[in-house]
Amino acid sequence: MYERIKFEDSKYSKDPILGCALEGVASVIAGIEDVSIVIHSPQGCAATVASAYDTHEIDFTKRKIGCTRLFESDIIMGATQKLQDMIREADTAFKTKVMFVVGTCSADIIGEDIDAICKNMQAEITAKLIPIIAGGFRGNSYEGIDIGLEALFPFIKKEDTKINNTVNIIAPQANLNPTWWADLKWVSKTLELLGINVQCVIAHNTSLNELESAGKASANIILSHDVGYKFAQKMRDVHGIPLILEDIPLPIGMKNTTGWLTTLGKHFNVEEKVEQLIEEGEEFVVEILRKRALMIIPRYRNCRVAISADATIGIGLVRMIFEELEMIPELLLFKSDMPESKRILERELDDLGISPKVAFSIDGYQIKKALTDIKVDAVVGSAWEKYIAEEVGIKIAFDVLNPTNRDVYVDKEYFGYVGMLNILEVFANDWERAFRSKEINWKECSKE
Amino acid sequence: MNISDSVVFSGHLGELYKLAKEGKIKTNLQGSHTRACKFWTAMKILSGIKNAIVIAHGPSGCAYGVKQAYKLTNCRNSGSPYESVLSTNIGEKNIVYGGEKELKGAILEVDKKYQPDIIIVATSCATGIIGDNIDSVVDELKSQINAETMTIHCEGFSGEYRSGFDLVFKELVKLMEPPTPELKAKLSKSVNIVGGKMGPERTEVDTDVKELIRLIEGMGASVNSVIAGNCTLEELKKAPSVAVNCSLCVDIGYVIGKEMLSQFGTPLNSTILPYGISATKKWIGGAAKYLGMEEEAKALMEREYNDIKVEFEESKKNLVGKTAIVEGHDAVKSLSIAHMLERDFGMRVVIFNFHPWSTGARETSIDYLLETGIDPEILITKGTLAFGRYESMKQTEDELLTFLGDISSESVVYFGSSLAFPNIPLVDLNAILNRPRFGFAGALKVAKCINTALKYSFRPRSYLTKRIVFPKNAGMASALSLTPKLSGDLPDCTVYSAGRRRGKCMNE
Repeated sequence: MYERIKFEDSKYSKDPILGCALEGVASVIAGIEDVSIVIHSPQGCAATVASAYDTHEIDFTKRKIGCTRLFESDIIMGATQKLQDMIREADTAFKTKVMFVVGTCSADIIGEDIDAICKNMQAEITAKLIPIIAGGFRGNSYEGIDIGLEALFPFIKKEDTKINNTVNIIAPQANLNPTWWADLKWVSKTLELLGINVQCVIAHNTSLNELESAGKASANIILSHDVGYKFAQKMRDVHGIPLILEDIPLPIGMKNTTGWLTTLGKHFNVEEKVEQLIEEGEEFVVEILRKRALMIIPRYRNCRVAISADATIGIGLVRMIFEELEMIPELLLFKSDMPESKRILERELDDLGISPKVAFSIDGYQIKKALTDIKVDAVVGSAWEKYIAEEVGIKIAFDVLNPTNRDVYVDKEYFGYVGMLNILEVFANDWERAFRSKEINWKECSKE
Repeated sequence: MNISDSVVFSGHLGELYKLAKEGKIKTNLQGSHTRACKFWTAMKILSGIKNAIVIAHGPSGCAYGVKQAYKLTNCRNSGSPYESVLSTNIGEKNIVYGGEKELKGAILEVDKKYQPDIIIVATSCATGIIGDNIDSVVDELKSQINAETMTIHCEGFSGEYRSGFDLVFKELVKLMEPPTPELKAKLSKSVNIVGGKMGPERTEVDTDVKELIRLIEGMGASVNSVIAGNCTLEELKKAPSVAVNCSLCVDIGYVIGKEMLSQFGTPLNSTILPYGISATKKWIGGAAKYLGMEEEAKALMEREYNDIKVEFEESKKNLVGKTAIVEGHDAVKSLSIAHMLERDFGMRVVIFNFHPWSTGARETSIDYLLETGIDPEILITKGTLAFGRYESMKQTEDELLTFLGDISSESVVYFGSSLAFPNIPLVDLNAILNRPRFGFAGALKVAKCINTALKYSFRPRSYLTKRIVFPKNAGMASALSLTPKLSGDLPDCTVYSAGRRRGKCMNE
């Protein structure tokens, strides 16, 4: 088990480290190809939507975003006409198959009837109109992803016949790997090697046709421990598609990858192929580390570590850090608070026999407070944790997660065997930098 | 395409300004071309106050967005420690029943856990609409907390882009203390630089603000505060006692300067952004007048000019009598650059695609420019007003190419981002190595930049960068297509249309 940290003075004031529901909703819409989005909101909300589109690195030519730019008079008098005009304008200019009409805080509170507007206008609009109410107050970005997934649900056609050896991949974007699509790619490629086809990714570069046919898959896999369980449950209840691999850590680190592959292999009766992948993968990691990283053994052993992450990466890191690197995960700070992932964490900690201090749904203040109060040697996290670590006197910060200060040109997966090496490479460089002299002492070294 | 078919406006800035004021040209921003809202612009200024905590009363997303944009940047570039932006994190229940209880709790918690000099409560759209009375909540708690307090009503819907800047600057004046004879004597050789934002200056870059401070100090005076560029509450309180306020950005600096002038009689030295020698001299001269340091200023300007004379005069020879096409998407910069190019280099300036929306957003700069007798030409094409960012870009680019098509590369220079690929020499003043851009050091950087750009204009633009910006086989395309994160900073002219005569890069 774990010891839950209690924070004082945090009941009413939050130093947020997650966006609002609108960002989550937009990050789902941004994963669908050939759609436009009309935001019924003041103009600042467009930055939130743009941020979600950035998350998918959506090519600018494909960003079809309109905003009604609500001002005070619209709030008082209502802005139905403005929205109708914007829908018409966007339909003519963007010519997309589907248009999501999204109401943010202002439209949501003043009660703009977006559902009715879409329904009444549908006959004159070429794009299929999908209304979504996404006031930022409806939750954080994780909850927004769930709202967005819910909005996609009606697109999925009911299929009585399932195609064997096919899966849907759900919520790949809820992952703090700065190039999370590499994790998606690793999963897709691994499935392909095992003869399992990806029916639909919900959602990244996903066509509407693919989405419509998601009901044909024989299994669902969520690539996140922070979102997606509600959607997967609904898929099971309505479309009869079981969720698999839902109660084990994602493939972060060697043992977790092996465990994940083994479970996958058993489900699809491809154990032999999986065994081969495992053997090759593990051997690859060992060979590389033997040649290039022998010193990580004395370097990392018994180093006390804090992990500040999403559950998606964070839960998997615990075993990798403790068992494989012989570090001690002293403090675990998670951005989300999902009951499903908490259960996985509890099982993992019980199995490992450790009791770190843990907090869920943390904010910036709590990260800083925990890192100040609980003495650790190193922090695994993002650029934020790196700065906080410097400030509170922690020498080593592994800047692995988003938002990162590292420029990543070549996509790097964190899932799988190579993914583990990618994480270790960041660890190694940040460790080295932490102990490298920052300046040459010219005075002392000068002969004169 | 005939360029005349695409022109929405072609004339001088003064005419455009008049048409806009009379409502004879559309000035609204299209729904696909949103700017930061009032909340964001207010927060940009508030982020420049040290040891201040902002509580954004609303859902967490608003606070998170500005924290990511401003505070993380400050950590990365300016060596700031981790700075929080707080939120009351209100949810659905609060929308129905109100969030004043949450706000009270948050203020008490923040006072205790951060011990800030000041707590600033800012409204968001959600709490503005439900009508939480933040003023009364703050008033009620004043006696129970140590920090000073301020409320900012900056709901995103309650004003245009610049209204957040103006609002916060006006409110900051309320924190100031009237001048006293003692303090005035103490600060008689000090200035405030007003119109700053966001926080401390970058540590590794010779920024424009650093250059202005260097000039003030070079005169023998000192800077009390950059408001609001990492200023303290204490600096703000004594700010009215300085000899003069010098505006950093005439638009947003003018508001606080004018307010301080009216409230406390603090003189205001307001000029266009001091790009180039002419504007810099005015800036220094204006400050010196109130500091009583005209002689020192004269000596400083002579010294500074002599240091850059050779290179500056060389660049002048290269430009005099030529036409400058200046990117208009950053309105204030384009106006300041226009001022410099006309006054310092004797060029004819055409600002390309200055959005009519900017006539309202940048009113002060335009007034200043026109009053000083500079009235650059403006060319606005239909693409600038088209709906859809990419759609608008494509159209604008096509129009620009048509416009440039008949122009000789010998007589025209493009001032804009190097992500642009016009068929004329390009001078990019924004590159980080070209900082500072203000003052004499800036004038030298500008001169060097111009000289280098012209000297190497024989070199075809990199085939690699062209392909980065414009995907192979993409036909008309935009830099924005591949660099979404940079989309806010991209130029108007980013087109390279492979195979088209007019689109070809020069010397190719």
